[in-house]
Amino acid sequence: MATVTNWIDHLNKPAEEVAGSVYPGAGSSEFILVLLLIVVWIGWSVITDKSEREELERLSRKRHGANDHKSNITDW
Amino acid sequence: MTDQLGALTTIFTEFYYWVTVVLMFLIHVGFCMYEVGASRYKHHQHTLMKNTMLIPLVTVTWFLFGWWIYWAFPTGPGIAPSIMTESTGLVLGGGFGGNDLANPTNALMAINLNDHIMGVFWAAFLLFSWTAASIVSGAVIERITTFAFGVLAIAIGSVFWSIDASWGWHFDGWMLKILGYHDAYASGVIHAIAGGFALGVLMVLGPRIGKFASNGEPRNIGPRNPWLVTIGLFLIYTGFWGFYAACNVPIYDLGPEYGMEGVTFWTATNIYLTPTTLSGITMNFLMSLSGGLLAGYVIAKGDPFWTYSSGLAGIICASAGNDLYHPIQALIIGMIGVVISYKLHYWVERKFKIDDAVGAVAVHGYAGFIGLVICGFVLNGYPASGYSVGAMWDGSTYATINPLGQFLGAIIMFLVLGLIPGYIIAKILNGMGKLRIPREVEIAGLDYETMESAKEDEKAVSSATR
Repeated sequence: MATVTNWIDHLNKPAEEVAGSVYPGAGSSEFILVLLLIVVWIGWSVITDKSEREELERLSRKRHGANDHKSNITDW
Repeated sequence: MTDQLGALTTIFTEFYYWVTVVLMFLIHVGFCMYEVGASRYKHHQHTLMKNTMLIPLVTVTWFLFGWWIYWAFPTGPGIAPSIMTESTGLVLGGGFGGNDLANPTNALMAINLNDHIMGVFWAAFLLFSWTAASIVSGAVIERITTFAFGVLAIAIGSVFWSIDASWGWHFDGWMLKILGYHDAYASGVIHAIAGGFALGVLMVLGPRIGKFASNGEPRNIGPRNPWLVTIGLFLIYTGFWGFYAACNVPIYDLGPEYGMEGVTFWTATNIYLTPTTLSGITMNFLMSLSGGLLAGYVIAKGDPFWTYSSGLAGIICASAGNDLYHPIQALIIGMIGVVISYKLHYWVERKFKIDDAVGAVAVHGYAGFIGLVICGFVLNGYPASGYSVGAMWDGSTYATINPLGQFLGAIIMFLVLGLIPGYIIAKILNGMGKLRIPREVEIAGLDYETMESAKEDEKAVSSATR
């Protein structure tokens, strides 16, 4: 996985030959990483949409008044 | 970086943009404080979370496609020829435009020992994206779902503003060539578009419960925490220093860039690579801020909420041409923008029943639009770009700045890329039943459950003696 195993060897080349990318998996893992990010993004959106919908439905069923929240404020 | 001077220039540029990013982070801190201060107690925490979560959502999508869009579409595509050709020596990397640079699978989109600029430049633009989304966030507080806001934030932050920046900010942008569009510090490319987008969303979203009386008269729902609003807006002002600096290129030799043989001219430039100075724009920033505050104080009769917002509106209005204006011109333009925006806000509110909770459409949308139009008159005849100057509509050269081009540019920003997409996306979300929270929840307060679940603990803590 390591792209660089010896910095002296790596930087001792002529400037135009020093490979810029030094992250693990350089040149072979980028597509998979991007795919993973898309999965995280879409997955997060689906999960939060579902939990928000459930919370809003639960709260709207209780039909609280506009001032009911004041009874929840306890720290005076 | 093979010689010390080259290394110094590169590292200075890298550090310069890094500092702008840190400063611009304060804009978001300010927006969060401002929104929470403007919202009512029972909605505080959701309001804060909504604006906070746009940070990761816009960042992820900016990495995936927002940055790519900026580099991909400067010429339309197909509206004007590109100058990024081999003959001009401006080929930046594959595909159309320089979009290969910004491909998320490209090796430059990570730590790269041969590149010190891409990451900080990407980040500076990302912070602009957060700002665009955050402008919309304030307008829609207390009644939008977090999911819907997330979708809208991505749309404005990673798609539509990116398109407008590509068209009207990129040095190869078709709006520069054909319209002579000039918008040095983003009156249009950030503010008019985000304000227009917010207005489009508000048209579908509707007002907060209780905002309008049964006879249609608007009621004032003032900020609940004036101190948070105050500190929030001061932080936004502070972050704007970074915003202005980030819109500049700090050090550039324009001689070779313009193809002038034997000429060396080191300077800062604006985003269009035409010369300006950080020193001069600092004066203009402060004078337009002052103009906005002076006019806002008078027209709002000393109302702090509008006076602070007017300072921001003053800067936004003068921003299009603050790279070239005289400081007193900047002040007067800021004043004009504030007066028109303030009047327009209340006229639109009353006439169309639009509930813009923080005045975002006025401060950003109207002031940005007006600023672009005024810039067309005041800077009429200046080159829109440092590259070859030609006739308007020519397309192969760059038109000069002119009133008609700026007016059309303002329409494109506010209406075409702002209001219309905002309206359509909000309509779709509304059709899916995902745009607005249920009426009962709006009445009870979005934070009801959060506060209720903590009630017993809070009671015990508040009466505890040991």
